[in-house]
Amino acid sequence: MSEWMILLPILVPAAGAGVVFLLPKQLTAIQQAVAMLTAAAGLAITILLFGRELTFTKNWVGFGIYFDLRLYSFSAMILIVAAFAFLTVLYASVYMKDRGFSRSFYGFVLLATSFVSGAMLANNLVLMLFFWEGLLGILFALVYTGGREASQTAIKALVINGCADLCLILGVCITGWQAATFTMDQISLPLMNYWTTFGFVMMMIGAIGKAGSMPFHSWIPDAATDTNAAFMAFLPAALDKILGIYFLARMTLDLFVVIPGSKMSHTMMIIGCITIIFAVLMALIQKDYRKLLGYHAVSQVGYMILGIGTALTVGIVGGLFHMVNNALYKGCLFFTAGSVEMQTGTTDLKVLGGLGRKMPVTFAGFMVAALSITGVPPFNGFFSKELIFDAALQSNVIYFVIAAAGAFCTAASFLKLGHTVYFGEAPRNLRDTREAPWPILVPIVVLAFACALFGAYNVLPLQYLIEPILGERLHHTYSGLPHSWLLPAISAVILVLAVLNHRYGVKKSGKPVGAVDHIHHARPLRSLYDYAEAGSFDPYKGVSSMLESLAIILMGIDRLIDWVYTGFATGIATLVADGIGRVHIGKHWMYVLWTLAGAVVVIAIVFGIGG
Amino acid sequence: MPVLFLMVPLCGIFLLNLPKRSIAAKFASWLVGLICVLLGVLAATSQMACWKPFNEAFVLPFSDLLSVDWFSAVMLFTIAMVTTAANAVGFDGEDRKKVLARSLLLICLTGMNGIVMVRDLMSVYVFLEITAVSCFVLIAIDQKIEALGGAFKYYILSGVATFAILIANAFVFMNVGSLQFADIQAALADAAAGDGALDLKISLVLFVIGLCVKAGVAPFHGWLPDAHASAPSAVSVLLSGVVIKVAGAYLILRLANEVFVEQPAARLALMVLGAFSIAVGAFGAIAQHDMKRVLAFSSVSQMGYIVLAAGLGSTLALMGAVVHIVNHAMFKSLLFVNAAAVKEQTGTTELDELGGLTERMPMTGWTSVVGLLSAAGLPPTSGFWSKLLIIMALFMADRWVFAIIALGMSIVTLGYLLMLQRNVFFGKLHAGLEELREARKSLTITALALATLTSVVGLAFPVLFYLLSQMGYV
Repeated sequence: MSEWMILLPILVPAAGAGVVFLLPKQLTAIQQAVAMLTAAAGLAITILLFGRELTFTKNWVGFGIYFDLRLYSFSAMILIVAAFAFLTVLYASVYMKDRGFSRSFYGFVLLATSFVSGAMLANNLVLMLFFWEGLLGILFALVYTGGREASQTAIKALVINGCADLCLILGVCITGWQAATFTMDQISLPLMNYWTTFGFVMMMIGAIGKAGSMPFHSWIPDAATDTNAAFMAFLPAALDKILGIYFLARMTLDLFVVIPGSKMSHTMMIIGCITIIFAVLMALIQKDYRKLLGYHAVSQVGYMILGIGTALTVGIVGGLFHMVNNALYKGCLFFTAGSVEMQTGTTDLKVLGGLGRKMPVTFAGFMVAALSITGVPPFNGFFSKELIFDAALQSNVIYFVIAAAGAFCTAASFLKLGHTVYFGEAPRNLRDTREAPWPILVPIVVLAFACALFGAYNVLPLQYLIEPILGERLHHTYSGLPHSWLLPAISAVILVLAVLNHRYGVKKSGKPVGAVDHIHHARPLRSLYDYAEAGSFDPYKGVSSMLESLAIILMGIDRLIDWVYTGFATGIATLVADGIGRVHIGKHWMYVLWTLAGAVVVIAIVFGIGG
Repeated sequence: MPVLFLMVPLCGIFLLNLPKRSIAAKFASWLVGLICVLLGVLAATSQMACWKPFNEAFVLPFSDLLSVDWFSAVMLFTIAMVTTAANAVGFDGEDRKKVLARSLLLICLTGMNGIVMVRDLMSVYVFLEITAVSCFVLIAIDQKIEALGGAFKYYILSGVATFAILIANAFVFMNVGSLQFADIQAALADAAAGDGALDLKISLVLFVIGLCVKAGVAPFHGWLPDAHASAPSAVSVLLSGVVIKVAGAYLILRLANEVFVEQPAARLALMVLGAFSIAVGAFGAIAQHDMKRVLAFSSVSQMGYIVLAAGLGSTLALMGAVVHIVNHAMFKSLLFVNAAAVKEQTGTTELDELGGLTERMPMTGWTSVVGLLSAAGLPPTSGFWSKLLIIMALFMADRWVFAIIALGMSIVTLGYLLMLQRNVFFGKLHAGLEELREARKSLTITALALATLTSVVGLAFPVLFYLLSQMGYV
């Protein structure tokens, strides 16, 4: 097999995107066909490449920056990206029909596939940065074209991700400087001195920012409602989560030597825990199908970061396994949300109900995915969560308690969601709801099947996909049933508690959508929720209001100076009839004065240091 | 061959000013465009072997060599590119003014071409003045009050720069006895580098001041926002696109690395000024309410990056600086061309009176997005590379304070560019703009060409870079 093959996962989707963009707007069918074929071809290529080891190195910029791609057990995860691209395109062929923007959606999904594949295959930090930064623009475009009212969210996503990416650039620069190379498989820095730690933190911020953990999460719930379900299913599976978590794991495993129990390890675990608990609490009270899922998308990232942050083998395996599982069930859940939205025209939980009998396939898909995310055996979420719990418990019991509390809230919110949407009597206006067409159902069924398969037969993902990544660090396999019975027993208790809580809540409020209202209105949480709903925890809002006030202050100074000089000039202007001078006589003096001040600085530096 | 870069524009001026002005006015834009394209092609091919036999020294009245090395070639190409864009934006008014403006454009072109080809300080001074004087008139050519004011400020501060550079030349001449770059460098190398004479230091200080005024580096930038924002659209493109780079940044790079080498104090001064300028420009831009003024302040900030890298002076930094000059020329002319389009179609560039233009002016809107992304340093545009190279170079040289300033300020850069994008191109269409139409063809085609160039260079940058180094340019 030629080394050039490694370029195909990058080039094929990019070429497909190019064709899609060049086709005239009216030829929707042809665009669809091209997108579908390209995505299928991309999937076939990654399947063909799976399990092989290839490297491709070409001289690039110089200065230690090579065009260096490496396919090995870890970067083989591009398979997931390609698979999701295919499913998303298939789904979108029906879902996007009446939404406009379908051409740009296909184009950008393919382009994103290409860039994510590039970033994951890259074996040089700067090359990775190139693809990574390119994704920023693509993400912006995807959000922007994702819905009619999405432009604000798009800008928010761009700014938040942009800031995280700047940290990543800084991290890459520092790491390259400290390691004296940019080639990733040659870097293995111990976190000994100040600089490497700083570099690690900066890169970590870049990675978790991309993954959308707190405090870089606030655009995701917005995007969940403002854009469309196809994009939201694509996002965690093939764009931000997979890339962010991939890089975080790569950092902890290869680039840096992170010792379990070290400060950095605890930092990551704390971020993970905060993300889990805050996001899941917000998810709990949502009254919109997609927004609820959007907060869960954030919360699940917390589990992955917690798992990888332990720096224990079991935790890293768990974190990566959870990432794969999350891609499957979260994709499936968003697809069901889109299906419900398409058939009923809404995702508002107060309106929905009794769809289980009307849309049996969607319902079945939802059930499997919901059972997976809540961690019910034998579905995949159970196994990955148990691994993470195991690692958390080994690190510190507090992390475990928080993770378990998160699991409780996850279960509670999905009980509420499932009960509200699919059980009970359908409201009158939803009586005629029908099942969605097959291109919508195929991705749901495929993903639900994968959830069951990866759980019941977890040898497949663990031994073939994830455990090879750890290589020599792995002493025994984690596939099969959990090794101790204590943790599953605790999880079972948590699930039972969640069910009891749900029954209590339904009884108390009288309707399933109000199942968690008693938590929402519990005294200590209520004010917290009020703050959160008002956006107080949204750092983006804080910064933009700060920038605004900064601009106002600067403007004020500017006006003040202007006033001084205008006032000053009016004195002379009584003598000078010409109006030109009125504003400017003062000003160029000021500029000359600035120049003189600058001259003083230059003189001070040149004479101060040289003399 | 180098002499063509001076003679062709001069011939153009003669052609434009033949009798029968009405004919000249009709063909002026085509003639100037042709000259620019010709010079651009010439610049791009100037390093090829076929030119070697003609690349002989050419003697100017003040005994100077003209030569075109790879750096000059890059600059000549950039000058030709931006002048083409400025020419495409064009001038309005009666025939006389059109011909006059285009003649001045050619004079300015001659002056800039001269600056990048000469190799002695006296000729540098002469060509600087040619460029500057043509710019004063160009800014004020519409005879509007703000433009006259802007030109006046440029004139005053250019006076300071002229003064500084002349005196510095005198000091150097006193010290070395020659103004040829090679002679100066040799003399300085002989003078047991280090404990440097007083007059050398004075001349360094004066050069830094003079060239920083020309480059619009803070705190010497006072003239820049007014002049660039008040000038006619075409002149804004020219000024922000290339004049500040040739008259300021190019000379700083050339002098710091080929003439006054081994001067750590002056380098530090440049770096401090560069970092300061990045911050002042970026914060200044946030507070503006006019699209052209935002762009002008952004120029101050971007020039800061170039001067910062020039001051650092490592190979990587120089590469970054040169690439940033070219990139900035591309995206800033693109943005000013689009500002011209906005001004023409809506009659204003006030941010408060604009909004949602992408809906009605898709070409202008989307090419602007490319320009803004490049200015913010996001791939796949070309701006990503130059900023990354500069920041990496700073880290490699252990100058991490400057690196963090440079990187931190790109957040502010992102902020004001997003503000611009949101207030002008995205969001809801501003009331009263319902009848808006796309700008005229010459503007959209220029914008599209520049946007394409920005993205192509961004995508193919490493390949270009590799090819250049293989051909021995770098």
